[in-house]
Amino acid sequence: MSVEVRHITKTFGSFSALNDVSLNVESGELVALLGPSGSGKTTLLRVVAGLEFPDPGPGQVFYHGEEVTNLPASQRRAGFAFQHYALFRHLTVFENIAFGLRVRPAATRPSEAAIQERVTELLRLIQLDPLARRFPNQLSGGQRQRVALARALAVEPKVLLLDEPFGALDAKVRRELRRWLRRLHDDIHITTLFVTHDQEEALEVADRVVVMNEGKIVQVGPPHEVYDRPINAFVFNFLGNVNLFQGRVAGGRVTTGETELQVSDDTDQTDSDASIYFRPHDVRVSAESNGMGSIPAQIQHVNLAGPMVRLELERLDTTGRFEVELNRDQWKLLGRQSGEQVFVDLQRVRVFAADRTIPVNDFSI
Amino acid sequence: MNVASPFGAGSHRATGRRAISEPRWVRCLLITLAMLFLGVFLFIPLIAVFTEALAKGVDAYFSSFADHITLASIELTLLAAAIAVPLNLVFGVAAAWAIAKFEFHGKNLLITLIDLPFSVSPVISGLIYVLVFGAQGFAGPWMMEHDLKIIFAVPGIVLATIFVTFPFVARELIPLMQAQGRIEEEAALTLGASGWQTFWRVTVPNIKWGLLYGVILCNARAMGEFGAVSVVSGHIRGSTNTMPLHIEILYNEYNFVAAFAVASLLTLLALLTLGLKSWIEWHTAAENPPAQ
Repeated sequence: MSVEVRHITKTFGSFSALNDVSLNVESGELVALLGPSGSGKTTLLRVVAGLEFPDPGPGQVFYHGEEVTNLPASQRRAGFAFQHYALFRHLTVFENIAFGLRVRPAATRPSEAAIQERVTELLRLIQLDPLARRFPNQLSGGQRQRVALARALAVEPKVLLLDEPFGALDAKVRRELRRWLRRLHDDIHITTLFVTHDQEEALEVADRVVVMNEGKIVQVGPPHEVYDRPINAFVFNFLGNVNLFQGRVAGGRVTTGETELQVSDDTDQTDSDASIYFRPHDVRVSAESNGMGSIPAQIQHVNLAGPMVRLELERLDTTGRFEVELNRDQWKLLGRQSGEQVFVDLQRVRVFAADRTIPVNDFSI
Repeated sequence: MNVASPFGAGSHRATGRRAISEPRWVRCLLITLAMLFLGVFLFIPLIAVFTEALAKGVDAYFSSFADHITLASIELTLLAAAIAVPLNLVFGVAAAWAIAKFEFHGKNLLITLIDLPFSVSPVISGLIYVLVFGAQGFAGPWMMEHDLKIIFAVPGIVLATIFVTFPFVARELIPLMQAQGRIEEEAALTLGASGWQTFWRVTVPNIKWGLLYGVILCNARAMGEFGAVSVVSGHIRGSTNTMPLHIEILYNEYNFVAAFAVASLLTLLALLTLGLKSWIEWHTAAENPPAQ
C-alpha cells in the first residue's frame, strides 16, 4: 500500500515542526526519514500514523490513494513502533502481541484459537517463543523492540511506521536488529517508513532515504545517490564525516590556500566565495609533493584503532585542521610519524557557494 | 560500598565502610529521638484510646454501641464516605487524566484549585457552605422557598466531606500519570483500540495501585473529618452528627467510655488504613523493580 503526504504543515506553539512537506512512498518500499533532532522527521511519521494532525490548511495524508487526513490513529491500521517500545507493562509478551487482535470489535475479532496461533507464529518470527510469559521489564532492550515490532505486525497493518526503532540500543544489537529488519522487509514486503538520525542505519537499510532539516525535506533518493550526489552542504555534512576548506571558485577552478583544483562537472559556481567539502577517505596522502594541487600538512595526531588509520592534520600553506583516513597498508607505505610533514591530494571534492545552512567550521569530527 | 570489587549487584550490599557514615553516638541519638517522638505523640495516645474505652470492662465497651444515637452517627459517617469517595474517585481520575495527558489553557489554575482544600482551614471550608447555602446565605431565601435544606442537614455534611477530600485521589494520580506519559495509550490507539478500550485496558491497569492508595487515604479523611463537617452540621443528635462530632459530644458530657469506644473505631480504621497502605507500597515495589 502506498503512502502519500501533501503540503503538510505542523506547528507546536511558535515552533514550526513541518513546513509544507510532501512525500510519496511506493507500495512495498522501505524508506528512511533521516535528519538531526528537531528536523521534523518524527512529527512527519506521527502525522502519517494519525497521532498528530496537520495544521488546518492544504495538508493531506493518503493511504493507497484514499484520503485519511482526518481519520484517527485507531482507524488507520498503521503499525507503529515507538522509540522507547511503549510495551504495556502490565501485560506479558504474549498478551502485548495479542492486544491489537483482542480489542477488535466482536464481529471482526479472531477466535481465541486463531489469536493463539497468530501470536505464536509472530513469537517464532521474532525468535522469542520461550519468553512468551515474561513481562516487558524482564526483557533486554533488543528483545523489547522485537516484541514491539511483533505487536505492530499482529494487526496485519497496511503500513509499518518505526520511530527511531533502534535508537536506544547499543551499537552491536542495533546492527543485528537492522539487518533483521531488512530481512523481515524482504520477506513480507510491507510498506515501511522509519525515522533515524543515524546516517549509517539509513544508508544501509533503506531503499530510499529522505533527508530532512528544519521541518523540510532537503533531498530524496536511493542511498548511494544521496551519499554520492548530495544537493547541498547540509546533506553532505550530515551523511558522514566531512572536512571543509574555505576558498574561491572562478572559471571552473577552485583555489584554497596555495592549492588550485579542477572543479568537477556538476559544480557550476563561478567567481565567488566557495566552501570545499571532502570526505576523510577521498584523499591520497604521500610523502612527496606532486607539484600542483598537493596540500602540505603536518601530522598532529595518529589514531591506529579500528580498521582505518585516522590522521589529524594541520595545513602548512594556510591555517586549518582536517582529518584523513588511510588503510593500514597505505599508512605503512607512507612511513611517516606524528609531527612529520606529508602532502595531501584531494581526490573528490564538492564545492558549494558560501552556504549559511551549516555552521562554518574548518575541521569536522 | 567497596569500589574495588566489581562483582555485580551483590557487592552493593557488601559490608565495610560507607561513603556516608556518622559516628555511632550520632546514629543512636537520632534513632532515640525519633522513637521518643513517636512514643509520646503516637503510641501512648493509641494505647490510651483503648485503655479508656475498656476502662469499665468489655461489656461497657460494647454497650456503648447499642445506643441508637451512636449507631446513627456511624451510619451518617459511612453514608458521607460512601458518597464522597466514589465522587472523588471519578473526579480525581478525570482531573489527573486531563492534567497528565493533555495540554490546555488553565491547566495550572486547575492544579492550584485541586490543592485548595489542603491549603484552606477545614473550618473555613465549612463556613463557605454556610455562607452560600445557609438561611442568611446567597442561596438561602430561594432554598427556603423550595423547602431545600443543606446546612444543618445531611447534604451539607456530604458536600463538606467531598470538598475536604477531593485532592487525595487526584494528587496521588497526577505525578504517576505524568511519569507514565501517554505513549502506551498512543500505542493502544495505533493497534486499533478505541478511547474507552484504551482507558480500561491500558490506563487503569497502570494506575490501579496509585488509585487504590488515593481511595484509601480519601476514605480515611472522609470518615475522620471534623472541622468542616462541624460547621455545617448543627450537631443535631441522631440526625446530623458524624462519628468525630459524636465523640466530642460524648466527651464533653463526661461519658468517657462511650467517647473512647467510638474513638477506638476510628483508630482501628486508621490502623487498617496504615496496613493497607503498607501492603500497596509493598505490592507496587514488587511489581516495579528498580530499572536494571
